[in-house]
Amino acid sequence: MSKQINVALIGNPNTGKTSVFNALTGLNQKVGNYPGITVEKKEGICKLPRGVKAHIIDLPGTYSLNASSLDENVVIELLLNKNDKDFPDIAVVVSDVENLKRNLLLFTQIKDLEIPTLLVINMSDRMLYKGISLDIAYLEEHLQTKIALISTRKNEGIDHLKNLISNFKDMSVVPCLSASEIDQDYFDSLRKAFPNQLLYKLWLVITQDVNFGKTDRNQIEAVANFKTKSKGDLKRLQQKETIKRYQFINNVLKKGQTIDVSQAKDLRSKLDRILTHKVWGYAIFFVVLLTIFQAIYDWSSVPMDFIDTVFASLSEWAKNMLPGGAFTNLLAEGIIPGLGGIVIFIPQIAFLFLFIAVLEESGYMSRVVFLMDRVMRRFGLSGKSVVPLISGTACAIPAIMATRNIESWKERLITILVTPFTTCSARLPVYLIIISLVIPEGRFLGLGYQALTLMLLYLIGFGTAVVSAYILNKILKIKSKTFFVVEMPNYKLPMFKNVALTVIEKTKSFIFGAGKIILAISIVLWFLASYGPGDKFDNAEAIVKSEYRTQHLSKEELQQKIASHKLEHSFIGITGRAIEPAIRPLGYDWKIGIALISSFAAREVFVGTLATIYSVGSDEEETIKNRMAGEVNHILGGPLFTFASGISLLLFYAFAMQCMSTLAIVKRETNSWKWPVLQLVIMTVFAYIVALIAFQFLK
Amino acid sequence: MNTIIQNILVFTAMAFAISFLVKKFFWKKSKAKKACGGDDGCGCH
Repeated sequence: MSKQINVALIGNPNTGKTSVFNALTGLNQKVGNYPGITVEKKEGICKLPRGVKAHIIDLPGTYSLNASSLDENVVIELLLNKNDKDFPDIAVVVSDVENLKRNLLLFTQIKDLEIPTLLVINMSDRMLYKGISLDIAYLEEHLQTKIALISTRKNEGIDHLKNLISNFKDMSVVPCLSASEIDQDYFDSLRKAFPNQLLYKLWLVITQDVNFGKTDRNQIEAVANFKTKSKGDLKRLQQKETIKRYQFINNVLKKGQTIDVSQAKDLRSKLDRILTHKVWGYAIFFVVLLTIFQAIYDWSSVPMDFIDTVFASLSEWAKNMLPGGAFTNLLAEGIIPGLGGIVIFIPQIAFLFLFIAVLEESGYMSRVVFLMDRVMRRFGLSGKSVVPLISGTACAIPAIMATRNIESWKERLITILVTPFTTCSARLPVYLIIISLVIPEGRFLGLGYQALTLMLLYLIGFGTAVVSAYILNKILKIKSKTFFVVEMPNYKLPMFKNVALTVIEKTKSFIFGAGKIILAISIVLWFLASYGPGDKFDNAEAIVKSEYRTQHLSKEELQQKIASHKLEHSFIGITGRAIEPAIRPLGYDWKIGIALISSFAAREVFVGTLATIYSVGSDEEETIKNRMAGEVNHILGGPLFTFASGISLLLFYAFAMQCMSTLAIVKRETNSWKWPVLQLVIMTVFAYIVALIAFQFLK
Repeated sequence: MNTIIQNILVFTAMAFAISFLVKKFFWKKSKAKKACGGDDGCGCH
């Protein structure tokens, strides 16, 4: 049996830590440029030389072991607990060649925990452009470690890194800084009180506020022969520690690193001046958004039409070729149309994430964060709130989890509460199908009306989030201070592998995450639409025949009437009818009502539900869009999906909290039911009112 | 015979679908083990 060792990947944000993780494990992992993207722990397996396997943990990015946010705590919790199953045999600190000095602060802290610590200097390909040269042998000697100089972009140095990891037992665990240097008397008394403990570890336990809580410090303080210091004194000692560390780092880098600025070829500052300009910056961002939404429509229309036709044919084939009966009907009318309703959106979702990944990879997204901070400040949010709001375009769940790196509780809570307004990918299928039904295909200044409507919906979502944040900032009486630090990574050409992995991972999670729910709901809905209580359902055929006895209906027309009667008196029909009075003023019928209820499980279920409901009883080979376009409003007459009802639906979905999973995550992150319940009630009421006004005004 | 088999398949699919949805949305997951789980004298217990 081969040996397995634990390897912790640690580093400052934007050092390419996740790219190193990808290079070592080949696992799918999102790589981003804006700070705090890695909130959760990521794991993978890497094969090392001599049959050794490494269990690699990609820890959240942190600047030091002095944690200021929840995600940074993860790093300290792991490094201080030897009993943790993931406690590393070796810590691999990933640094970036351009910010070595700052990165070494974290390195020296980890090394002082007497864990074998390997230094990886990434982005070596940038050395030439920046005029940087390194004396690796000198650095290894004075930092008492092994160094891997690598470039994940050019796939250089990865084998050397694997070799160094596999030889972790030969690495020195001598600390860089003796803890006593911080304050001789204090650490002497600490050593006397806890003779068997590592001093630096004790120091971290004493000085960390969030991780280990007061109880833990109390345990130390309760020891009779140890007199601790006041909070202010501890802070001063922490500052002294940082100064000592930087003195050590400066001394090492003085000889180990040379930077010849005259050799640097810097395009970055020129680009930054334009992209973060107070006028041009916003104008460029707006043009980028326009281009993205136009491309989403133009590029995906052909594959979408193809998928739609394939599923319609598949459904027809199942009906004709399989033996007739309930299960065949379930396949042809429930499962296939339900799945078709989700697969059809793969091209658009893939293109959206392609663009987002390219923006992140290129370094532009961090400029957007910086740019938007100016706006966000006015609404009581921090620039860091932009990260969840932008991540929210994918899904509100990871976006809400990404708020963990916001230090101020008030700003974090507001961000959590407003993030669900951002247009997530689950809203996209709903928007796309409704837009294609009610918005004409014409163009304005070369831009399609449909693409413009989609972009407008994204802006409405973002705008509502910001305005709600402003209101919440005024209402919520929570005192807190915050600061905004954002790191601007270098501009770079996006790595194909990282972009491809992001697109594949996001599309996969959309299909398999939402797909399973949609499949299950499609089965349940088909069942509820195909069975019903009482005589009206059981004797549908006889009732319809006697009702239309005098009219000479064709066989197809009669079958259609029977199917329609059955659907109306099925379980789903009865439920839909019950809620119809509440949604009729919005321009919806009971079928849309059913879709609204079922899409509470996941918004994208809306399209699958309608596809299933409209398929039941339909014998014709038709696409989802055609079936929806052919639906008649049985109260007002005319098509069900008109401009008025379509806009009403779009606005309802833009504002309503139609997501069970998001509510669950809000409960988890706020540790209370109060906030998710408030969020649900307020968002739903607001959505209802706006949709009502829109329909009544436009009809 | 065919009708009975088809009905059995439908009800089985329905049972699977409902149990999946219940598990997904209503089943309370057991809490994950805390990262810092043990007493090695680290002072965090």
